[in-house]
Amino acid sequence: MRIAITGIGIVSALGIGKEATLDALLREQSGIAAPVILATKHRECPVGEVRLSDDDLKERLGLTKDALLPRTSLLGLAAAREALADAKVSDTQAVPFINGTTVGGMDMTEQRWREREMYAETIVTHHTAGASTEAIAGQIGPFALQQTISTACSSALNAVMTGCNMLRIGRCTQVLAGGAESLSLFHFNGFRALQILSDDVCRPFAATRKGLNLGEGAAYVVLESEESAVSRGATIYGYIAGYGNACDAYHQTASSDNGEGAFRAMQQALLMAHVQPSAVDYINAHGTATPNNDSTEYAAMERLFGKQLPAYSSTKAFTGHATSAAGSIELVISLLAMQHGFVPASMHIDAPMPDTTNPVQHTLRKDLRFVLCNSFGFGGNDSSMLLSKSAAELSRTDGVKPVPTLADVCLSEAVDYKQYISPMQARRLTPALRQLVVAARQALEQAHIEMPDAIITATDLGCICYSVGLLNQLTDEGEDSLSPTLFMQSTHNTPSSLIAILLHAHGYNCTYSHGAQSYDQAMDDARRQISLGLIGTALVLAFDEEDVTWQALMQQAGKQYAPIIRATVLGA
Amino acid sequence: MDKTLLKQQIIEALNLEDITPADIQDDAPLFGEGLGLDSIDALELFVLLDKQYGIKLQNKEEGKQVFRSVDTMAEYIDAHRTK
Repeated sequence: MRIAITGIGIVSALGIGKEATLDALLREQSGIAAPVILATKHRECPVGEVRLSDDDLKERLGLTKDALLPRTSLLGLAAAREALADAKVSDTQAVPFINGTTVGGMDMTEQRWREREMYAETIVTHHTAGASTEAIAGQIGPFALQQTISTACSSALNAVMTGCNMLRIGRCTQVLAGGAESLSLFHFNGFRALQILSDDVCRPFAATRKGLNLGEGAAYVVLESEESAVSRGATIYGYIAGYGNACDAYHQTASSDNGEGAFRAMQQALLMAHVQPSAVDYINAHGTATPNNDSTEYAAMERLFGKQLPAYSSTKAFTGHATSAAGSIELVISLLAMQHGFVPASMHIDAPMPDTTNPVQHTLRKDLRFVLCNSFGFGGNDSSMLLSKSAAELSRTDGVKPVPTLADVCLSEAVDYKQYISPMQARRLTPALRQLVVAARQALEQAHIEMPDAIITATDLGCICYSVGLLNQLTDEGEDSLSPTLFMQSTHNTPSSLIAILLHAHGYNCTYSHGAQSYDQAMDDARRQISLGLIGTALVLAFDEEDVTWQALMQQAGKQYAPIIRATVLGA
Repeated sequence: MDKTLLKQQIIEALNLEDITPADIQDDAPLFGEGLGLDSIDALELFVLLDKQYGIKLQNKEEGKQVFRSVDTMAEYIDAHRTK
């Protein structure tokens, strides 16, 4: 089958909409500046902000000022509406909506945390990643279904991949997929604690690079079977030629020296597309401008493409690093580049990295037939997608096949973990994460599988103990107090990456975070990919841990709280 | 300064379960072959110096020099502490 892209919507520091984005790219006009919307005292760290307050956004979106929506959802709503209108899709009842986010409603939570007892209901209703997806859907839908993927900075590209897989099993003929993320004090100061924010404009792939600038925004694409697109006369921006996700399985925040995960993800994308590396005309690199990312991503590109790389650039010098939205923002930028025939500039390079092929430093007019777009996240969650200007074939199958469950371990009380984790590994893990390791190991042992092809995790709240710890630090001690360890471990895909790192599992790795539906969404992903022959086995994990503070807020709001540690092995 | 206290603070900050102050030699390297600490631990030590002693290190390079051992840390704290 052929997957066409028939609609795009984008909001970033470059402005609202595809026209503003294209204009800024062509004029080499960066959106990075000192923060004005984010209420931080650290104005020395530039950011890629969407220069509209929440109230301004609500007004543009036709919402009243008292509407309770996190900023992530406001940005998402603007981009989602643009994408659907661009594709001329008005009836979304048969369209799945796949959203990537990590911040979710964190902005609302952190603003109310000091008086959390008073705002318990608001906090627990709007905090989660899944709730922010529902908030977008609630203003547009009804959709055929809503799902939320939360793999930190690769979330949005993984959401697009899931959308492609839904089309390939014939689940639907159109999908709305991408991601949204607003800035929050929580992750802004978390990145500061990790000392990877630059106090200067970011300089991806420069020898002088010293860190990233955080950004925010949202972008979505309408994915559509070519048959449907042609029959209704839709405009086609390009095609999805191939994609891959691999886990670096090295460290929660650092990439391996030779960029193993990045290399595998790019290689898989090209293999799926049956395209030789030499055919790639442009790579929109992840290029965050941290010393570690850019050198390891370069190493991975060099492994795949040889000494002479294709034209490449990082557009994060324009938008900042919009974390969970970065993947779809850059996918849309790649589509605009393909449509208008240019390579966007990799700006702010004052000194190139020695002994490397330099990135494209000024807008370059060029016909682009194949564009590769990279998006990497914490936990070494590395994704890459190949776009094609002309029609590209992908395999398909009719529906999901029945897949046997090979093992299912559910731990309800604490068991001894010491045979599975060393004290140095255990010291950064909450009791629940230690239990998850035991459940995963036991399930794999029962299934007689050493290495699963995929690890897919379901979690409603993610690592809530670490999140609560950081919220307390931020509220009680201020912006300079955040523990780098807690922040590193606070992302929703920490459990999935942890198991991958312990198993050295480089296969597909994904995390679904959509309330009580998370586990079913994770299982569906596994069954879809097994049916498509993309994987043979999958370890599906369910993780939600107990936290007394959060539990009290849930209780106050009259909501059920369901901690779970479960590991299921599926195999064809 | 009291090096045993400093070791205790390091153990707490880095969550080094199963390790006591007596296990850490004053002049042994903290990183690399020593305790097996990584870059995130170094970042935690930045926070420790700030919170306990009011010292803000400028960058990771400075951190590398200061965090070589308990001896070098203690020496730096004595010279630069503001609380």
